[in-house]
Amino acid sequence: MKVRKTLALPSRATLLGSAFVMAGLPAMAGGDLIWARYGDIDSLDPHRATSTLSMQVWDQIYDTLLAFDEDGVARPNLAESWEVSEDGLSYTFTLQEGVICHDGTAFGAEDVKFTIDRAFGDNPSLTRTSWGPITGVEVVDDLVVTVSLDSTFGAFLPFLADSFSSIVCASNADATDFGTRTAIGTGPFKLVSWVQGDEAVLERNDDYRNFGKPVENAGPVHIDRLIVRTIPEPQTRLAALRTGEAHIAEPPFDDIPDIQASDELNLVVAENTGQNVFWQYTVSRAPFDDIRARQAVAHATDPEMAIEIVYGGTNQREWCPIAAGVFGNDQEFCAQYGYPYDPDRARELLAEMGYGPGNPLETTMYVWTGGNRHILAEIFQAQLADVGIQASIEIMDIGTMNARVREDNERTGTDAPGTFNMMTWGWYDPDILFALWHQGGAYAGYQSDELDAMLELTRELTDEDARLAAVQDVIRYLMTNAIHVGLYTPGWEWIFALRPEVEGFKVGAFLHPMFQDVRLTD
Amino acid sequence: MLRFIAQRLFAALITIWIATIAVTLLIHLVPGDPVRIMYAGFQTTEAEIEAIRQRLGLDQPVWRQYFMYLGRVLQGDLGHSIVGSQPVLDTLLQRFPATLALTVSALIIAVVVGGTLGFFAAYRRGTVWDFGAMTLAIVGVSMPHFWLGLLLLFLFSMTLGWLPVGGSGWRNLILPALTLGLATGAVIARLTRSAMIDIFDQDFVRTAHAKGLPKTLVLYRHALRSGLVPIVSMLGLQFAYLMGGAIVIENVFAWNGVGRLAIQAVFARDYPLIQGFILFFATVVALVSVIIDVTYALLDPRIRYGT
Repeated sequence: MKVRKTLALPSRATLLGSAFVMAGLPAMAGGDLIWARYGDIDSLDPHRATSTLSMQVWDQIYDTLLAFDEDGVARPNLAESWEVSEDGLSYTFTLQEGVICHDGTAFGAEDVKFTIDRAFGDNPSLTRTSWGPITGVEVVDDLVVTVSLDSTFGAFLPFLADSFSSIVCASNADATDFGTRTAIGTGPFKLVSWVQGDEAVLERNDDYRNFGKPVENAGPVHIDRLIVRTIPEPQTRLAALRTGEAHIAEPPFDDIPDIQASDELNLVVAENTGQNVFWQYTVSRAPFDDIRARQAVAHATDPEMAIEIVYGGTNQREWCPIAAGVFGNDQEFCAQYGYPYDPDRARELLAEMGYGPGNPLETTMYVWTGGNRHILAEIFQAQLADVGIQASIEIMDIGTMNARVREDNERTGTDAPGTFNMMTWGWYDPDILFALWHQGGAYAGYQSDELDAMLELTRELTDEDARLAAVQDVIRYLMTNAIHVGLYTPGWEWIFALRPEVEGFKVGAFLHPMFQDVRLTD
Repeated sequence: MLRFIAQRLFAALITIWIATIAVTLLIHLVPGDPVRIMYAGFQTTEAEIEAIRQRLGLDQPVWRQYFMYLGRVLQGDLGHSIVGSQPVLDTLLQRFPATLALTVSALIIAVVVGGTLGFFAAYRRGTVWDFGAMTLAIVGVSMPHFWLGLLLLFLFSMTLGWLPVGGSGWRNLILPALTLGLATGAVIARLTRSAMIDIFDQDFVRTAHAKGLPKTLVLYRHALRSGLVPIVSMLGLQFAYLMGGAIVIENVFAWNGVGRLAIQAVFARDYPLIQGFILFFATVVALVSVIIDVTYALLDPRIRYGT
């Protein structure tokens, strides 16, 4: 079975609008690049935040042992090579020589140990479970470090390419203000200042060397400084972009067609973001304790048409429960078990359950704010009404939705109908399915011992082919039981508008913006 | 006068005390488990969720939670934010100067523009000037802040290129202050007009004219001074209104004040920060009201003697 890891689009970053490459224009060395975003970093400590906005800035300050290539596969980076013991319980990494931390100290095995010990310390990392069952880290010599695991862990290497595993230099240990005013790493930029809620100023790290990131430039970045500014109001962000106060910004959704039509700005649409938008249901009570109700919703809604209306060509239909670009994603495989738009089939299923004209299935659809998802929800609502499902829409922020979904699943002894929701997750590995669906998982949703055993296998297997088969078993189970029904990808925070003088900006797999090749032209 | 100040301060303390009750209850009014909502998306285990609940005192009865909170507030401890683990009071104090600069500038613009326009409209009562000024004031009162802000942004930043779009620095203050000031100025214009019309009809003004005093002297020394009293009393309310408006305007112009912090806190479901903000906001508004009341009493002796 061929694993589909990329979307059928012409390049990694699809360029929309005008011709992007400013051939013939002289490129200036240096300059300040201003990147305006809707929100700020939560913390510069990679163990103290989980937001994409934070992660995207850590990427500039810190580096990782491995790095994702263009297809989202983890490749050597700060770790030049590694060996895995026969039992799969010990990984020995050999680090690159001559890497220097921002404070001038030499980077080495101690920094790796410091980072991992810290992630499992008294105030552990918020994403420590993603590190896997680590039992210890041993410094073999300056450039060799061994990490021991309690059990085999298939998602270990991909995690080491993600920003949550950013290597924090041991010299941060003495800083009481680490995460706010101090952030010493080995990444392409050094922290100059951070005014919370306003802007973070980063300057070029002249000692930076790139080993594994999919960019052309192997040395220090071309620009002098990267200023990451927070401009929450979308129209103000666009105004800043148009007046030249910002070089890169996320444009308001409603203005995207105008930007595409004009040659004033360029658009970069990230691919392989790892983001997946899907239906999931309150399976603990009626009507969604019945698979037919879940299937009816899936057959009654047409994501392809809805995303075309709302997002134009910037989103893709996603059949799988994991996003395009993530290990195990295969549209052909998933489509076999998917629920194509078929309102007649939805009506049949509802009729079997005793619903029909005059007796509609009444339920509530949860949607989270932003990204024009409320328009999508209204389209789905109309499609559902067409087959006899009356779904009222409740819009809430993502945190509230996460909590409400879990509470709905845990609530028993009520006659209130179960709800369903347009949930979204972004992750770089199918291990997300374990977090979502294993008992004790994120939403206390569908649970079965059979599924648990299948999910555990996806974690334990390290052989690529064997793990792929296990992941596909889980996908098949989730889809045939209509537990996790994929809708579309990328999802959110994936469009960047650029001023024409910005050259060489790209967004790597799993939403990692890369400034290594960026130049500002005259 | 001291007794008057003491009375006003006592009233302010009651307001702040009520705010402390409101912020304690706030966390229980939102649907859903607050700890799960706060820590959504984090890899927190059930045991950790329970530990957080205990740490925040949310496992205690509401009345005990209230007294625990009150005890901490009295020691100046508003807790730590969920996002970034920063002390809430420090974070608020760090951002407050920006909000103060914005609201005070806006208030000055509002008084100068609104006062002048209102005075002028009253003086030319019934003319096309009066009609024009009051139409402008109605537009100003009716237009939402953020919309006026975006229009000014479009004109002064995008079309004319005179002022920056957003950020910090004094040039960045002009547009948000103007947006906030013009909207409040419209209210002040209407108020000044009606106050001045009342004054112009008073006997003492007629007498001053009859004595043959120069027109300007009558207008500025007699009429304006008396007309200021109701306007000053309104400024307290307007200040609270400006602080509320700052929440929206700071977001539009990326002005890094407490208003924007509040919006960030709401989106991040950062309860300690939201609670701290509400309490801080209530305290500032209550104290400013005291200052305004005292100024009012200084201007009009009848107030302080309770006559």
